[in-house]
Amino acid sequence: MGSQKRIAKELSELVESPPDGITVELADEANLYKWKVFMEGPEGSPYQDGKFLVNLTLPTEYPFKPPTVSFGTKIYHPNVTNDDKGSMCLGMLRADEWKPSSKIAAVLQFARQLLLEPMPDDAIEGRIAEQYKNDRKRYDEIAREWTRKWAVSE
Amino acid sequence: MDIQDFLAMEANSDRDDLVDLRALDFVSSYDSHLMCPICHCPFVQPVRLQCDHVFCQKCLGSAITTFRSADSDEFPCPSCRTPTTRISTRVPRLLVNMCDEIQVRCPLVGEGCNEIVPRGHVQSHVEKYCGYRLLPCPDESYCRCERCNEDVMEQDFAEHDKELCPSLEATCDDCGSIVPRRSLKKHVETCPDVVSACAASQYGCSVKVRRADIAAHEQQCPLVSIGPYLEAQNTRLNSLELTMRHLQQRNEIFEDGMANIRSTLLESARVSDADRNGGRSAPNGDRDGQALIDAEDPADPANSFSSHTTQYLLSLHESLREEVSQMSHALTDLDARASMTIMNECLRIKEDMAHTNAALNSVRMQVQWLMNPRLHNGTRANGMRTNSASNESTRTQLTSTSAPGPSSGTGVSLGPLRPRRPSDSGREGTKL
Repeated sequence: MGSQKRIAKELSELVESPPDGITVELADEANLYKWKVFMEGPEGSPYQDGKFLVNLTLPTEYPFKPPTVSFGTKIYHPNVTNDDKGSMCLGMLRADEWKPSSKIAAVLQFARQLLLEPMPDDAIEGRIAEQYKNDRKRYDEIAREWTRKWAVSE
Repeated sequence: MDIQDFLAMEANSDRDDLVDLRALDFVSSYDSHLMCPICHCPFVQPVRLQCDHVFCQKCLGSAITTFRSADSDEFPCPSCRTPTTRISTRVPRLLVNMCDEIQVRCPLVGEGCNEIVPRGHVQSHVEKYCGYRLLPCPDESYCRCERCNEDVMEQDFAEHDKELCPSLEATCDDCGSIVPRRSLKKHVETCPDVVSACAASQYGCSVKVRRADIAAHEQQCPLVSIGPYLEAQNTRLNSLELTMRHLQQRNEIFEDGMANIRSTLLESARVSDADRNGGRSAPNGDRDGQALIDAEDPADPANSFSSHTTQYLLSLHESLREEVSQMSHALTDLDARASMTIMNECLRIKEDMAHTNAALNSVRMQVQWLMNPRLHNGTRANGMRTNSASNESTRTQLTSTSAPGPSSGTGVSLGPLRPRRPSDSGREGTKL
């Protein structure tokens, strides 16, 4: 029960004063534990102009257990799995790294920062990480193309 | 204390508080540093770890149960993950005070309480002072009706048992149908099989039939058709009886009045008779009138009554007039006497005053005679001294005030001199 209060509090804070390029809503009004987050690709990154759907799932033990973040929109990124799950690996979200004092706003801002600066050393998709490190131009190109293909709504 | 103690304390601490301090509506803004990093509310019963991080006691309890690896005696701090073994319940008083003084709305705002109190007082406010808290009724003595399974208050049970219980049924005596007991009365009023009398029964129709057939009978019954006429007659009779009674009453009153008048007249006639027989000094006219009345007496007793009364009234009038004149005489007498006494008194007082005046004069003369030589000497010396002094002062005044205008200067200088001399001389004159 304690978790619900804190989640409701954080949600209202995020809805009232959303961080840059991030809008938050509940996937289902009756369920506080599943959030739909729309993240705009940060300027200066190949994801610019794209609008990415991020699914945020909170455990019932929140804030003692970390939330999970996955991309609902396909994205070409070294830290996001290139499958239909689109799970994202954030350092701070690992069970042993997670601190109850971290807020969801911080998690989302961290995720957005990751779009601007991928972490190839902590990558899930090794191939993309390799490309990011060695052939940055090509990576930018593909990422921009994927963004145009999946993340830009006409 | 170590983790085991803390968890034991946490388990023992009272959980069923009236007010959930985390669900309150915080009215005043508070510093984000007063917020527990776990529940994001201002600290409730804060505790402190070795690393100086502070959490609510309850939040830390759940954090320990989540993070501690099976019964080890240390756990990572939820903020910085420092391995921690000891927990201190001693936090700075300042922190507790700052958390407790945050203004919150009374949680019973839904019931209508608009009170805003510091968080530290909200518990006692709800417990003792808030007028909107819902309480269970202290009288919970319900009886369960066995037939309808309904909870009925004890005081209502007898009624419920006999009448209101929906399971009770009654049979209509006339039509034999079964109805709930509570609606039996209503049923009897409308039951078509109840035998009832013809509407004209009061006028003598003795027919009694079922309610369903009564309409048919009433169409034929002659008494029903003349019913309205009889009704009208009845009302007329009633109203006439009423008027009769009124008139009877008035008549009685009048009769009483007449009897009274008669008795008084008789009495007065007797009195005047006695007067005439007793005192021969009655005036001539009166005697004549009496004779006249006596002559007429046998012929017309009513007339004699009236003349008797006039006579009586006249004599009464006469005696009253005499009394009044006597009174006025007495009054003038009294008046004269009073004025005489007043005059006597005045004369005596005047004499006394003359005496006093003379004595006063002689005393004054003596005093003046005694004072004369002393005053004479004193004023001489004084007058000479003051005269020389005032002359000097006027001289200085003259020189000083000569600048604005000489005329005013002389006026001022003569002012104090002039009245002194005549007064002195006057006094000397009286002394002589």
